[in-house]
Amino acid sequence: MADRLVFIQTPREFNPWPVVIFIALLVLATLFLAPTIGVLLSSIKTTKEISEGGLWNFPTHLFLGNFAEVLGNPAVHRYFLNTLLVTAPATIASIALGVLGGYVFSKLPFWGSNLLFLVIISGMFFPPQVILIPLFQFFNYLGLIDTLWPIIFIHTALGIPICTLLMRNFFATVPNTLREAAILEGANEFQILTRVALPLSLPALAVLATLQFTWIWNDFLWPLIFTQSDEKRTIMVGIVNLKGQYSVAWGVQGALSLIASLPTLVVFLFFQRYFIKGMTMGAVKG
Amino acid sequence: MASLILRNVSKSFGNTKVINSVNLAIEHGEFVVFVGPSGCGKSTLLRLITGLESVSEGQIIIADKEVTHLKPSRREVAMVFQSYALFPHLTVAENIGFGLKLSKVPKDEIETRVQEVAKVLRIDDLLARKPRQLSGGQRQRVAIGRSIIRDPKVFLFDEPLSNLDAALRVVMRIEINRLHQRIGATMIYVTHDQTEAMTLADRIVVLNEGKVEQVGTPLDLYEKPANKFVAGFIGSPAMNFINGVVRSVEGKPAVSMGPLKIGVKNSTLQAGTCLEVGIRPEHIEILSPSQSHLTAKVDIIEKLGAESLFHLQTEVSDSLLTVRADPIISAGVGDIVGLNFPEHHLHFFDRNGKIV
Repeated sequence: MADRLVFIQTPREFNPWPVVIFIALLVLATLFLAPTIGVLLSSIKTTKEISEGGLWNFPTHLFLGNFAEVLGNPAVHRYFLNTLLVTAPATIASIALGVLGGYVFSKLPFWGSNLLFLVIISGMFFPPQVILIPLFQFFNYLGLIDTLWPIIFIHTALGIPICTLLMRNFFATVPNTLREAAILEGANEFQILTRVALPLSLPALAVLATLQFTWIWNDFLWPLIFTQSDEKRTIMVGIVNLKGQYSVAWGVQGALSLIASLPTLVVFLFFQRYFIKGMTMGAVKG
Repeated sequence: MASLILRNVSKSFGNTKVINSVNLAIEHGEFVVFVGPSGCGKSTLLRLITGLESVSEGQIIIADKEVTHLKPSRREVAMVFQSYALFPHLTVAENIGFGLKLSKVPKDEIETRVQEVAKVLRIDDLLARKPRQLSGGQRQRVAIGRSIIRDPKVFLFDEPLSNLDAALRVVMRIEINRLHQRIGATMIYVTHDQTEAMTLADRIVVLNEGKVEQVGTPLDLYEKPANKFVAGFIGSPAMNFINGVVRSVEGKPAVSMGPLKIGVKNSTLQAGTCLEVGIRPEHIEILSPSQSHLTAKVDIIEKLGAESLFHLQTEVSDSLLTVRADPIISAGVGDIVGLNFPEHHLHFFDRNGKIV
């Protein structure tokens, strides 16, 4: 009687690799997330709880006093404003300069432009420590110490290599015939850039906006060097400032750390759909 | 009035001369096709006319105005690119109106003119779409629309149909022809497809290695090629070439090709001159072997339905001769057939490839 179909299952060999990779990723994710969880835990505990039970204990109840203290502190408002005053112009300026440079290097090459491009790119490999003292002396000479200007200038300048590199590679994927078609339609180079090349390069712009914003917002070194008064501190330096003279306010610092990382998270979430696309597009097609 | 004049136009990239002293006058309303093999400079010549490349020597005159050193946008030319070059982020309407918007034409006027152009090209229902939502033929029409809206003095087409499939190419070829009749503008069209060249052109310019080989109507080039290159390039399948020597037979010149001697009326032929004889596949007659002085063995037959192409081994040539014949001819592979070369269909070329 063969009225039933018999499926013969070939015994499948057990492949251990997916399991190994999964476990490795899980361990890595835990390691990376641990500090954030530590900060989160400390931000919802009272100082007493922290000093009694350490950083990693779960709180007996949810304590939001740290957040209230941070959000109500006028100094913190000042830190936020200062950070924004540095991050927004420096992000915009570095991307704008990178766009202009990248367009010229990809679409309007001139004698020696490749060499110049390499020189600009090599700026990425300068350790900041090397230029720290000369820059301090320079801005001191200009009388700009304890203002936000040095930080804006330095972040703009330090952002130029990566912005130029990414924009050049992205513009290179915009077909030359589009530029030529626009020229025949009567467009000048600036119009080609703004009406053809840039609208097609939104993914690259999103990547740069996210990278630059995050990098500048989270920077600790330059604000620490160039600002002295509490009035001019940015948020990352401000977190450290929150400690008392004899004690460390773990809970308050934890709360501010979380709040301080929100803007970069928002920027990333806003741009992320372009971000992934832009990362691959720039890399593969460039 | 000539619409476009090229005077001794040359172009070099470094030490390589890609366009060599081209002279050409194109009348108003004429449809001129530049044709030639890849790398012959036809696209470069087109780019020189647009101004996307600058000339190394010579003058370009468009509508009685010297434009040699003018910017592309000041030359009043429009170009349709092989890749269409539509702006992917703009709608069809924005693509067509791009140039007008740049020259700050009022919005209402742009809209009316875009509508008009779209109606002519039958794309008025696609105006809100983006280029990626269009088929190849529709994209091509948008590209043409963008070029005609500014009412340029000269239209340039750079292999516009080569990205389309064979059937659509025929349709678009007819549409371009109709468009030319309708707007009566001067058009210059670059292609390597000689069918396009023959069907569209008022005059064909055959280019080779940066030089103009011959300019003439399609039939002129077919019937009276100026040299071996044009003879071989125009016509499909290509002309057969056979080595021959001029002999004097009974006081009259005759061309001998192997065992075959054909008396010729051409009195300029000197006895003893070596030359090449060209005859088109459609001009060779297939006879029964007994009727002919020259026999051939059938090597390959390509049956195309309306006609058959016979590739034949002969004593007159090392390479196979191609003959276009009526499909009712029943000879099969390996059969022996007789051939006749009618004297009035022979073309003679000297050693330099010039017609004699």
